[in-house]
Amino acid sequence: MKVEISRRRFLQGSVAMSIAGGVSMSSSSMMASAATPAKKVGNEDKKIATLCEMCVNKCAAIAHVRNGVVEKLDPNPLFPKSRNMLCARGNSGIQALYDPDRLKYPLIRDGEKGSGKFKRVSWDEAYAYINEKLTKILDEEKDNRSTVAFCAGEGMAEHTFKSFFTMFGSSHFLNHASLCLATTVSGYSLTIGGYGIADLDNAKYVIMAGANRAEAIVTPDTMDMFKRTNGRGAKLITVDPRFTNTAAKSDKWLAINVGTDLAFVLALTYVVIKEERYNKAFVENYFNGFEEYKNHILNNNYTPEWAEKITGIKAKDIYEVARDFMAHAPQAIYYQGRRTTWSKNDFQLRRAQAIFSALGGGIDVKGGICFGKSLPLVEHDAVAPMYAQAKPRIEKDEAAVVGGSGSWVAFRNMVLENRSPYPIRALFNYKHNPMQNMPNNAKTAEFLKKLDLVVTIDTMPSDTVMLSDVILPECTYLERTDPVVSYGGIEPSIAQRNKAIDPMFESKPVMEIMRGLSAKLTKPLFEITKKYDEDVQSAIEDDDEETVYAEFDLTKPFAHDQAELNVNAVAKYEGAADILKEKGVFYPNMNEYFKKVGVNDYEYYPEHKRAYSVRNMKFNTPSGKIECSVPALAKKGIDAMPVWRSEYEMAIPAGKFRFITGRHAQFTQSGTSNNRLLLNLVPQNYAWINKRVAEKLGITFGDKLEVSSKIGKTTIKAYPTEKIGPDTLFFVHGFGVYSKALSLGYNNGGNDAAIIEDGIEPMHGSSCLHDTIVEIRKV
Amino acid sequence: MARYGMALNYKNCINCRACESACKEENGVLLLPDHYRIWVGVKEAEGQFPNISIASQTYHPSQCQHCDNAPCQQVCPTNATYYGEGGMVMVDPTKCILCTYCINACPYDARYVDNRTNTVDKCTFCSDTRLANGETTTACQATCPTKVRVFGDLDDPNSEISLLLANKEYRQVKEHLGTKPKLFYIL
Repeated sequence: MKVEISRRRFLQGSVAMSIAGGVSMSSSSMMASAATPAKKVGNEDKKIATLCEMCVNKCAAIAHVRNGVVEKLDPNPLFPKSRNMLCARGNSGIQALYDPDRLKYPLIRDGEKGSGKFKRVSWDEAYAYINEKLTKILDEEKDNRSTVAFCAGEGMAEHTFKSFFTMFGSSHFLNHASLCLATTVSGYSLTIGGYGIADLDNAKYVIMAGANRAEAIVTPDTMDMFKRTNGRGAKLITVDPRFTNTAAKSDKWLAINVGTDLAFVLALTYVVIKEERYNKAFVENYFNGFEEYKNHILNNNYTPEWAEKITGIKAKDIYEVARDFMAHAPQAIYYQGRRTTWSKNDFQLRRAQAIFSALGGGIDVKGGICFGKSLPLVEHDAVAPMYAQAKPRIEKDEAAVVGGSGSWVAFRNMVLENRSPYPIRALFNYKHNPMQNMPNNAKTAEFLKKLDLVVTIDTMPSDTVMLSDVILPECTYLERTDPVVSYGGIEPSIAQRNKAIDPMFESKPVMEIMRGLSAKLTKPLFEITKKYDEDVQSAIEDDDEETVYAEFDLTKPFAHDQAELNVNAVAKYEGAADILKEKGVFYPNMNEYFKKVGVNDYEYYPEHKRAYSVRNMKFNTPSGKIECSVPALAKKGIDAMPVWRSEYEMAIPAGKFRFITGRHAQFTQSGTSNNRLLLNLVPQNYAWINKRVAEKLGITFGDKLEVSSKIGKTTIKAYPTEKIGPDTLFFVHGFGVYSKALSLGYNNGGNDAAIIEDGIEPMHGSSCLHDTIVEIRKV
Repeated sequence: MARYGMALNYKNCINCRACESACKEENGVLLLPDHYRIWVGVKEAEGQFPNISIASQTYHPSQCQHCDNAPCQQVCPTNATYYGEGGMVMVDPTKCILCTYCINACPYDARYVDNRTNTVDKCTFCSDTRLANGETTTACQATCPTKVRVFGDLDDPNSEISLLLANKEYRQVKEHLGTKPKLFYIL
């Protein structure tokens, strides 16, 4: 008995978790009724420093609040990462705040799942309902905490929700990573020791392949890049199956066959190795396994002529780009990319890109891929309980490495196909919309219906919200103070979102929701643990129940006010707490360093204080060098070096198209589908189809098309254009909502989740969003 | 006396339309079709896939040119359109009778009928919403991710806009009409 208890205590040490106010985030881990819109309060006129949450970037903004109403959002010039700007989505934050379709009160389902029928309840009734369902489920599953899954959308308060997950003790946390960037983050990390920051402020040659920074805005990359294109310091080569806005700002656009980027990179590598154009000193000193890689590339004959047949890019262009890249190196970058869930070879593609970039020596150097510095916050660790009955993640063997954010598609499909070793019965969802962000929404709907309890916290009635059992309304970002965040980078800083106005209706910040919910659940759930966990039973015998319960107290992470936690998190920086409250941004010596240098331009750090080179030529990889080969992966069935395989080539039957999805600068995934201002700019999405193909089919602009794949169909208007090839079809993600509660987004445009097949790649079980063949029919 | 104009580093423009959204929020422009004070003119790419002429696709941010010799002012029968402070072309909503002569006269298509105020409205360089409150930038300039716009006093030789125009080549739109526009596109 004693031994078992000490085992428990030993394990506890290994799951320490942070309940601090702060979240450290390097830029690489980024990873009422309509009639009464707002309460007018007093005659105040104030400016509040906040941070935007209309997308992942978190730009610093100033909210002008007059008489209790947020009237305007302006950029806050103090934040190095957002460079004094707010994009269209940032400006539209006010419309998100005052959207009449917002979730206003807690709701409980009052009809068949999916019927859209809910009844208004009090917060306490909602918590009590969750408690009743959850205790029943956990009792029936004998305290296997992993029967309850947790998922979250990206956001500054994701950390707060995750604390609840950690305390709860389930093995299942799921987020956007496997639908977004898992492959590129790990591809670069395992090769050069970090995802890194592309220094587009100083690079002289940039290859952007599949990344579309003019439309999918990333800060500060977008702002740094396009001030320097068109013969003004940086050459930009865009590689994309579509002629994007980024392509329009480039020196060269190479139209590539979908899913063949790896062949392109291997051929670039072939040229620089064969012609010995790489940075020899850098390779000699800082590469591990170069000879092996060199032989691999040369022996496989990855020539530009070979790649031309696969990629559709002319061999002469490949020679030219390879030579030009190295002529500009080390100020030359093969841009990492972000949403890289394209095809089965994604991970290998990102490894090949990283190695190619490194061949020029442009790693940890100004104008190359940098790693930057961080400003650490004070973190207070608390011990999370271990639950003896909690079983491991169900989809852990569905890919070589399934990390802490899971493989969403594999997880969902195992549950649906009854392949899970134990039942998955409940889901807690924070602001995540798997109905729209995961391929094959018919399966997602079935999955959500199959669960006994789906609790969703959100601001808007999304498609996922409509398939939930309990809906808890969160306030928008303008109505809450969130955990202070440290942004690492070449010019690191700390930023804080301060509440601009009080939460409207009955909505609450997630911190308060978690506080209320955990208070309701903590004792009843501990009773279940007591019933099934022998360790706990014997611990109670040895100590006393109160002492043991203290370990399992779910309310621990939510005891303090967020503003108070933020003050503690920045305690080591003198004056920071007050500055963050007033100005929203802090970094050491900000008063001295921050300078206005023009009507639009600011300097954040003097040149010699910027963290361009920080690694002292020791990279965060197992060998401390650039890793050409990762033999450990071979044991898991993953190629140790990037290899082109014939199965990567996908035949497109005559008359059909390979479907690709993406972004434009006026929408953030499915989160903006009901935003009045953004819909005023872009009322709906259109299917890009090659103009000559459209002509043959008698399709003209605005014709309604039914786009169908093996798994489903959607309807969308046609946009015939020469900016896309004859065998490719594209439309922007985030439209075609099913939820009738989103009055502007409902049934508006095409929904890609309805047609994209749900294949996964072998490394992380990430989605292959560009591996679907579709056909079209005029309707 | 000041004479306000705007220089545009239009090569920076990525057509993200932050400027349009900021203008609408700042100036209360109704979110209806054809209601806009500023816009990004897009010239679609020429050529056939995959041989697209990159240079053929351009983004041309635009708005009222605040002409020194404004055709809209000349045709206004009620003097609702007038030259305001700093040479800005302004509209007096109390005098506008919605005859829309100005819409027809403007060679830049910079005016529209605002259903909220029943006025033929246009860009004011945010003079009432921002300049009057001590701001020195327009909403479109402040919000722009790639910093296309530089607003300022053309009569002040040391202003950033004056220095920019003194040192860079630029062009104006439909200058030959004699309108003397005050938007300058930096080449």
